[in-house]
Amino acid sequence: MPDALLDGLRGLVGPANVLTGIELGPYVIEGRTPDAAVFPRSVAEVVGVLALATEAELPVVPWGGGTAAAVGLPAARAGIVLGLSRMTRLVEHEPGDLTATVEAGVTVAGLQSALRARGQWLSLDPPDAERATVGGVVAADASGPRRHLYGTPRDLLIGVTVVTAEGAVVRGGGKVVKNVAGYDLPKLFIGSYGTLGVVVEATVKLRPLPDAERLVCASFDRLKDAGDAVRALMSSDLVPNAVELLDGAAAAALGAGAGLGAALVVGFDGLDEQVVWQCDELARLVTSLGGRDPRALPPEAWARLAPAARAAVGQPVAVMSFALLPTQVTETMEQGANAARARGFHTAWAAHASVGVVSAAIAPEPARPEPAPLAAVLAEWREMAHAGGGRATLEWAPLAVKAQVPVWDDPGAAGRIMQRIKREFDPRNVLNPGRFVAGI
Amino acid sequence: MAALAEFRKASLRRELESIVGASAVLTDPDELLAYESDGLTMLRALADFVVFPTSAEHVSAVVRLANREGVPFVARGAGTGLSGGCLPAEGGIVVSLMRMNRVLEVDYENQIAVVEPGLVNLHLSWAVGRRGYYYAPDPSSQQACTVGGNIANNSGGPHTLKYGVTTNHVLGLEVVMPDGEIVWLGGRTRASAGYDLVGVFVGSEGTFGVATKIVVRILKKPQAVKTVLAVFDEIDQASAAVSAIIARGLVPAAVEMIDQLTIQAVEDAFDCGYPRDAAAALLVELDGLTVGMEAQAERIVQACRDSGAREVRTARDEAERQLLWKGRKSAFGAYGRISPAYMVMDGVIPRTKLPYVLRRVNDIVAAHGLRVGNVFHAGDGNLHPNILYDPRRAGEEARVLAAGAAIMRLCAEVGGSISGEHGIGLEKADFMPFIFSPDDLALMQRLKNAFNSSGLCNPGKIFPTSKSCAEVGPAAYRPHAIEEKGLAQRF
Ligand SMILES: Cc1cc2nc3c(=O)[nH]c(=O)nc-3n(C[C@H](O)[C@H](O)[C@H](O)COP(=O)(O)OP(=O)(O)OC[C@H]3O[C@@H](n4cnc5c(N)ncnc54)[C@H](O)[C@@H]3O)c2cc1C
Repeated sequence: MPDALLDGLRGLVGPANVLTGIELGPYVIEGRTPDAAVFPRSVAEVVGVLALATEAELPVVPWGGGTAAAVGLPAARAGIVLGLSRMTRLVEHEPGDLTATVEAGVTVAGLQSALRARGQWLSLDPPDAERATVGGVVAADASGPRRHLYGTPRDLLIGVTVVTAEGAVVRGGGKVVKNVAGYDLPKLFIGSYGTLGVVVEATVKLRPLPDAERLVCASFDRLKDAGDAVRALMSSDLVPNAVELLDGAAAAALGAGAGLGAALVVGFDGLDEQVVWQCDELARLVTSLGGRDPRALPPEAWARLAPAARAAVGQPVAVMSFALLPTQVTETMEQGANAARARGFHTAWAAHASVGVVSAAIAPEPARPEPAPLAAVLAEWREMAHAGGGRATLEWAPLAVKAQVPVWDDPGAAGRIMQRIKREFDPRNVLNPGRFVAGI
Repeated sequence: MAALAEFRKASLRRELESIVGASAVLTDPDELLAYESDGLTMLRALADFVVFPTSAEHVSAVVRLANREGVPFVARGAGTGLSGGCLPAEGGIVVSLMRMNRVLEVDYENQIAVVEPGLVNLHLSWAVGRRGYYYAPDPSSQQACTVGGNIANNSGGPHTLKYGVTTNHVLGLEVVMPDGEIVWLGGRTRASAGYDLVGVFVGSEGTFGVATKIVVRILKKPQAVKTVLAVFDEIDQASAAVSAIIARGLVPAAVEMIDQLTIQAVEDAFDCGYPRDAAAALLVELDGLTVGMEAQAERIVQACRDSGAREVRTARDEAERQLLWKGRKSAFGAYGRISPAYMVMDGVIPRTKLPYVLRRVNDIVAAHGLRVGNVFHAGDGNLHPNILYDPRRAGEEARVLAAGAAIMRLCAEVGGSISGEHGIGLEKADFMPFIFSPDDLALMQRLKNAFNSSGLCNPGKIFPTSKSCAEVGPAAYRPHAIEEKGLAQRF
């Protein structure tokens, strides 16, 4: 990296906020070290950083909490990490409007505690909320168990401010909960993994905190029975806020009973009497379908649900996530585990079952009946998902594996539209080049 | 653009007929007249052709032909739009989706339905209703408007307060792109690879292509529903009650406000049981579990009383509930009986600004020498001031437009938006700078380029321009067909 550029960055944000050399440890992705990490404090500084980087034709990697930094392919060339962690202002919160505007670097946990003090919350529970930032959650389209009732960022984000690769500060959407003026730009930035612009501010819809909330768990001998219970639940009158299905390994990791086939974990919120009634009804429903020992889990268990599959295998060698038709969930979990076992791999599976979103982790120490080609398992999983009309993303794997198994599904003809959007938004291909689908 | 020369028109007609069949092409000026405007009858433009395809392949062939000839085209559903969104460019092709109106598939277990774009919104809920499901977005025009039109406008309705607008219910789209290619965006599952193209197509007002298949979520009907009517002597009290309800931690399914002028019009026409002397009424609906319903209703009643409601009553039975909703949903029809014409405005404000903004709206309209009725989605701050006027009186229409513009400025000033559900279309294109900067609009234009680089697909919409192709001027007011029917409703 040219010294002049480094000096420029230091002049812009202050020398203490430009990291180089050995300080870059936390920002190394898959063995690739960026040239520098820069931490602007304001929108104007973000604009300045992008201008300098674009001029030098250096790639820019927007960085929130880094919780999803390893998703996708790392930039082919090293570049500048643009960290948002100093942009943490709660810009506006009017409880009566049930909206809040925050800077992108606010952590989800930080925002929630500020809101909770005023009786409200952002109904989004992505994993790693202590580290994950609002901007990062938007860019990675992160969510958690409560998406069953409350949806994902696309249901909650009503406005964004982004800085484009060319340094324009652009606002999309607005600050009101209903708005159809112009194109829905916020949707475009959700799940765009920092390839279209740097999200610097977000406006979200809020909800009042419920009076009560409870998480209930039931154990099953067989995954299939737990799956049947999910179907019965979905066609009942109950209104859960989360419907999670864990295989035996993930259930054990959650502390929901070891040595059993599966666990069904269901959340309810609302008035006290609603929560109590629903927990009773659920107990009746699962018991009639072979569920055992329906019991309440402590509130801390919430945060351990989504990462349960990963946690079950220690340091996974690969994690794949799936979006399936809900009716395909149990079959995919079973067949996927069998396919991996046949090649000597242990796996763990957890699902937001009602919406068909599944996560599978592969354990590092294969039992090795035969030399186990990891890539072959992953490719097989992807095929399984596609055969049922679903999708697969290789959330995490060593670079060598990513070289053999694509991270993203092929978006087909839609990929060409995406490439055109990328060219329109980032003509010099500065933002996270090569990280995303279709070569974007 | 000038109308096509006659000989070229004749040959285009033959080609269109060879694609969709002779009975599916209109060129007779009398027949074309019916497609000259949408629900906003003030704006009009005459197409050269209206075609009625029955498949995506038809649509694709028509679009490719239009591209080859450089002729603009626009998709049209039921034509109930209120911003001139489906107006053709002068001399263009209107692609009517009304013959593509089938429910192709319902998958109850996965709670999705696959439908054609010309399907009438309410017909989807009917189709799945027997099994206890429904399609949540419920525009007041749901008896007539199409799912395709809803997609294009990201339409809302009373119950979108709790359940979200159209975009929250669409998973996948088959689209004929502006160059004629047939492409799937999204699908049946909750995530797909890459950018959320479904998310940007929804709300693109027909400028990103023509949707030919739509995958939507269907929801289970709630176990119980309760409807509360709160009556106020002052409009400020009703506004305050909206905030009070939210402050009590409640998210009702719907919170609708109806002002005095509207109440009187509705009562004259339909006798729905609203007190004629009230300054405003709130219609609040709760849905969900039977357990806890009473307790929640009690909180609503208390919030309204504390805000000064003179009367709060709960619908005793389904018949009374239907009657209350009929009053709300037939308001537009009722205006038609007390005024030769009215213009429906659509704007959004932060909920907490309701009292101030409603006062100002009434002042603005009065200052223009006109009357206004308000009936709107108060729960999410989505205003619908309806300005009554007589198009035969010289200068009155100009005053309506001026008052409308002032109301839009007001919405922008308080941090709101110039459209909550009706879209920008032609009507509000020139208001876009009220809320978007040149940079904001430039990025939107780039997004448009990625979808619609030739610009032939629904030209002239959304983006500000000093002149518009459509004719604007006094015309005999024509009530929309569904207004005339008084919008009898379901629920
Ligand atoms: C009495 C009355 C009440 C109303 N109440 C509401 C309400 O409560 N909430 C609300 O949101 N709206 C309401 N509207 C407005 C209107 O009904 C909605 O905008 C509706 O979604 C339009 O549907 P349509 O089929 O009539 O579309 P059209 O008016 O035919 O077209 C609207 C737009 O959609 C595009 N389009 C249509 N089909 C397609 C397709 N297949 N692919 C791509 N683009 C397409 C058109 O080009 C145009 O830009 C109301 C209108 C009336 C007259």
